[in-house]
Amino acid sequence: MLTRSKSADGGKVVVWDLPTRLFHWLLAGMFAVAWFTHEDDRYLDVHVFAGYVFFGLLLFRMLWGFVGGYYARFREFGYRWTNARDYLRATLRGPSRRYLGHNPAGSWVVFLMLGLGLAISFTGMFVLGAEERHGPFAGAFSFAHATLFHLLHEASAVGLLVVVAFHLTGVAYESWRHRENLAGAMVTGRKRGPGVDAVIFRGVGALLLAGVAVSAIVQFAGHVRATPEKPYLPFTGPTLPDSALWRAECGSCHLAFHPTLLPLRSWEALLAGQRDHFGDDLALDAATLAGLRDFYTPNAAESALTEAAWKTDRSIPPGETPLRITETEYWKRKHRDISQRTWERDPVRTKANCAACHLDAEQGTFEDAAMRPPGPQTDQSRPKTR
Amino acid sequence: MKPFPNAIFLAALLASGVAAAADVVDERLAAYKARGAGGFSAAAGKALWNKSFPDPKGGEPQSCASCHTSNLSEPGKHVETGKVIEPMKPAVNPKRLTDAKRIEKWFLRNCKRILGRECTAQEKGDFLVFVRN
Repeated sequence: MLTRSKSADGGKVVVWDLPTRLFHWLLAGMFAVAWFTHEDDRYLDVHVFAGYVFFGLLLFRMLWGFVGGYYARFREFGYRWTNARDYLRATLRGPSRRYLGHNPAGSWVVFLMLGLGLAISFTGMFVLGAEERHGPFAGAFSFAHATLFHLLHEASAVGLLVVVAFHLTGVAYESWRHRENLAGAMVTGRKRGPGVDAVIFRGVGALLLAGVAVSAIVQFAGHVRATPEKPYLPFTGPTLPDSALWRAECGSCHLAFHPTLLPLRSWEALLAGQRDHFGDDLALDAATLAGLRDFYTPNAAESALTEAAWKTDRSIPPGETPLRITETEYWKRKHRDISQRTWERDPVRTKANCAACHLDAEQGTFEDAAMRPPGPQTDQSRPKTR
Repeated sequence: MKPFPNAIFLAALLASGVAAAADVVDERLAAYKARGAGGFSAAAGKALWNKSFPDPKGGEPQSCASCHTSNLSEPGKHVETGKVIEPMKPAVNPKRLTDAKRIEKWFLRNCKRILGRECTAQEKGDFLVFVRN
C-alpha cells in the first residue's frame, strides 16, 4: 500500500489521501452552513441536511481511521497526552521536530473535534426528535427534554468553534515555523519530503463526493418542484386529529383554529359564552356543542400534540383563561418582533390570519419550518383601502 | 373514460343542488307565510342586503355586503378575520340554501350581527328570494 518516496529532500510526498481531503473541506463547509442557518427556522431543512452530512462524514472518518491512507490512520497519530503537551512546550520555545502527518498536539485537536462533532450530531438529532418530532429519535423524548438538548447542542457547537480557532492558530503557526503551506497541503495532499507516499484512493474520494451530491439532490428536489401556490414543506408536522364538525362550525368565519392552540379551560369558556362570541351570537344547539366538546377535550393544548401546544399551555399562568390565542404569553413572545405595519398591510391584515405566514395553519401543526413571514417586497404594497 | 357522460353527470349534480335549494327555499317561504309574511320581493331583499347599520362595537357601519360583497356570485371576505366566504348564489355554489337548519342558524347570527336584532319573517323571505334568483 505504501512505497518509499523515490525523491530525497525537496521532493513532494503524498500525505493526505483524496477522501481525507474531501472529508476535511466538506466537514468544514457543513459546519459553516449549519452555523449560518441555525438562526432562521425557514432554513431548518438546510441546517438539518448539513447536520446529517456532517454526521455521515464523521462516521466515514472514523472508519477511514482504520482502513484509510497511511497518514489518515489513527495508529499513525495516536499520541499520548504527554506527547502532545511536550510537543506544545517545545514548539512554543522554538523550532520543533517537523511531522509529515499530524503532530502530537494536532492529533489531540483532531480527536477533540471528532468527539465534539459527534456530540453536536447526537444532540442535534435529539433536538430534532424532541422538538420537531423528526429524524431517528422522533418521539423518543418529550418536549420537556428539548430545552436541555438545545442547550447542549449549542454549547458543543460553540465548543467546536473554539477548537477550530485553536486548529487554525496551530496551522498558521506551524506553517510559519516550518516554512510550508499546511492549508495548501490539505488541498493538494502533498508535502515536502522525505517520507512515504500514501495511496490517494481516488475511487473512494469520488464515491464520497457522489454520496454527498446524491443526498443533496434527493433532499432539495422538492424546492425545485415547488410553485408559489404549492410551496414545498420539507418538514410536515404530525397529522393531528381532525373533525368535520369542528371545521364546519369554527371554520366559517375564521380559520378553524386547532384545539391544540388553547388550553381546555379556554375552550370551555368559549363554548359557555357562545351566545356572545366576540359580539356574535353563535346559537349553537346542544348536539353541536357536545360534538365540539368531544373533539377539543382530548386535543386541547394540554395534550402536547405539537411543540406549539406544549409551549402555549406552559406559558399561561394557572389562574388565567385566555379567550384568544393572541392573549397567550407564548403567542405574544413569538410575535413580538412583528411590526404594527406588517399586521395591518397585505397579506396579513389581521392577527386572526395565521395562514398568511404559517403554511400549515389549516392543519394546526405550526411547524417552525413552515413559516413564511412576508418579505420586504410587500412594503410597496398598495395602501389600505378600507 | 368518455368526457361526455361526466359532463352530464356534473350538470345533473349542479342541477340537483339548485333543485334542492329551490325545494328548501319554497318550504321556508311557506313557513314565513304561515307567520303572516308574504309578497316576498327580491328588490326589497337586495335593498336590505346593501343597507348599512351602525356597528355595535363602534367600528364602521356594516351591511351584509361588507363581508359577502354586493355581487352574490363572487366570494366574499370576513371583515374582521379575512376568511374567504364562498359565493352565496346557489347557481354558483350548489351547497347554498340546501339546509333549512343552516339557513335559520345564519339568519340568527348575521341578522343579530348586522341589524342588531333577529330578522322578521318578511325580511328573511325577501333575502331568500333575492339570493335564490
